[in-house]
Amino acid sequence: MAVSGSDFPGSLTNAALPPPRTRIFKIIVIGDSGVGKTCLTYRFCAGRFPDKTEATIGVDFRERLVEIDGEKIKIQLWDTAGQERFRKSMVQHYYRNVHAVVFVYDLTNAASFRSLPAWIEECKQHSLGTEVPRILVGNKCDLQDSVQVGTDVAQQFADSHSMPLFETSAKDPNSQGGGNHRDSDHVEAIFMTVAHKLKSQKPLVLSQPPESSVSLSMGKDVGGDASRSWGCGSC
Amino acid sequence: CTVWLYRLAVSSRCSVSLYRLSLLSGCSVSLDPVDIQALRRAAATRGGLLNNEMRRKVWPKLLNINVFDLPHRPGRNGREKHTDFQQVVLDVKRSMKRFPKGMPAAERDALQEQLIDIILEVLKRNSQLHYYQGYHDVAVTLLLVVGERMAMAMLEKLSNHHLRDFMDTTMDSTKHILNYLMPILEQVDAELHDFMTRAEVGTIFALSWLITWFGHVLSEFKHTLRLYDFFLASHPLMPIYLAATIVLHREQEVKQTECDMAMVHHLLAHIPEDLPFELLIGRAQGLFDCFPPPLLAKQAALQSRNSLSISSFQAFQLSTLHQRPDSVLQPGDDGELWRQGNRIVKVAVWGLSATLGAAVFAVAQTAMDWGPEAFLQLF
Repeated sequence: MAVSGSDFPGSLTNAALPPPRTRIFKIIVIGDSGVGKTCLTYRFCAGRFPDKTEATIGVDFRERLVEIDGEKIKIQLWDTAGQERFRKSMVQHYYRNVHAVVFVYDLTNAASFRSLPAWIEECKQHSLGTEVPRILVGNKCDLQDSVQVGTDVAQQFADSHSMPLFETSAKDPNSQGGGNHRDSDHVEAIFMTVAHKLKSQKPLVLSQPPESSVSLSMGKDVGGDASRSWGCGSC
Repeated sequence: CTVWLYRLAVSSRCSVSLYRLSLLSGCSVSLDPVDIQALRRAAATRGGLLNNEMRRKVWPKLLNINVFDLPHRPGRNGREKHTDFQQVVLDVKRSMKRFPKGMPAAERDALQEQLIDIILEVLKRNSQLHYYQGYHDVAVTLLLVVGERMAMAMLEKLSNHHLRDFMDTTMDSTKHILNYLMPILEQVDAELHDFMTRAEVGTIFALSWLITWFGHVLSEFKHTLRLYDFFLASHPLMPIYLAATIVLHREQEVKQTECDMAMVHHLLAHIPEDLPFELLIGRAQGLFDCFPPPLLAKQAALQSRNSLSISSFQAFQLSTLHQRPDSVLQPGDDGELWRQGNRIVKVAVWGLSATLGAAVFAVAQTAMDWGPEAFLQLF
């Protein structure tokens, strides 16, 4: 259950020695039940695919220390329950101080794609709008035969919300290690992209722009820029 | 008061277990009326109900279920029309860990289908109840011990009492129940309470403990069963008291962690495999006796909210007082059915036992610790 490989490397040392403090990027992962949120976060933090995943009750939390441009950064992933009743009254606590949002849908399940506007709205209610880096992940692209959400439709949706789109698979057909490098690297790439984005954008997030009109247009610019420059991988 | 009760729980366990063994050897179940108080004590004190044979006898009595009047096996027609069908199937199919390792896939598949059936049937019969993720963890625990029809009867009873608050349309009542956790900690260890308050950790780390009676987080099924003995015999808030004892038990670890929401949440959410459950159960009971729910609610100025689980508990307990023993309950054809069903369950459980030899050995050994006479009385 615990993601042992990723359990807080060096957290005690950090507590003992004050500065330089490791920066923490908090990323919340949301989407319908069964789309693979736990798989994705586990894959990124533990470096391997989980044997089996179960329903997430409430929220679960995973962490990994990465190095970006010589700076050590902690990436905290908050894996949330998909069932609506949990997010309505339970999960709000965890939306606080979030730096980025990863929306996940299952591209073999059209309903999970149709729920995305509700999830986006949910984030807005917790003040996580376009000023916060957000990305869209279509999971389970290994199941090519049962795809229900085409890349073009998803791309259109992502564009309209100024988000980059990734299509990936958190499933490893060859269980451990070796195997399918392309997909494995992709999960890695998704979260690292967000981390890079946050690192470059951090001052923006910290110092909130005063005028709302400016912040809106800037949000759009940032988003538009993001979807161009982040690229849209598909596997 | 707490310390005194802790000591009492620890020092008296030998005599209590001997007493319990004599109760379990049959007399409490066959008295007329059934000695429900004795059964509750047996289920809650050290060792619990010992084995699944006992559980099949005692669990129904703890919930006032007539074993000769069980609901019929649910039909599969139209089950996919239920609004929660997709969610239930999704959760049940993913719950492979709940089934014993080594169980043949076909057997597990059949049990998973039964699990979907009983959950949907209970929901269908009780439109006031709403499915939550984790409900399937409760259902599977019952199913693996008592079989399909009895599991359905027990699940229905629990859903209308102990689990009732979790099954509202929203989780607001569940949040209210979770709010009892911090006041208990405050009473026992103010320093720990302050630390957790400063970390703003909240109480969601204990959510799955509460709503699945720890079934979702424990990997050893024997521990889950032991806790179910305790909770079936206790007040609906008892899982919160046990949650508090677990946090208190890990007090040192918690205080040494960085005072940060994520860190503390992560530490607490992952339960160590080797918790001394018997000790913790004794302590939870001690805490409950020292700080009963009304006292906590008053001291902590918990917002008053109508909890259906709590408000219906007294009536529920009263209803269990006048149960007739099975021998008087006039076993008719239905009784035969239950016994047959029971036999099938037994075969299944012995099948599991073969693969889980170590668990059986552990139970036998625990019984042996109390002396061979007691052991012989049992089997």
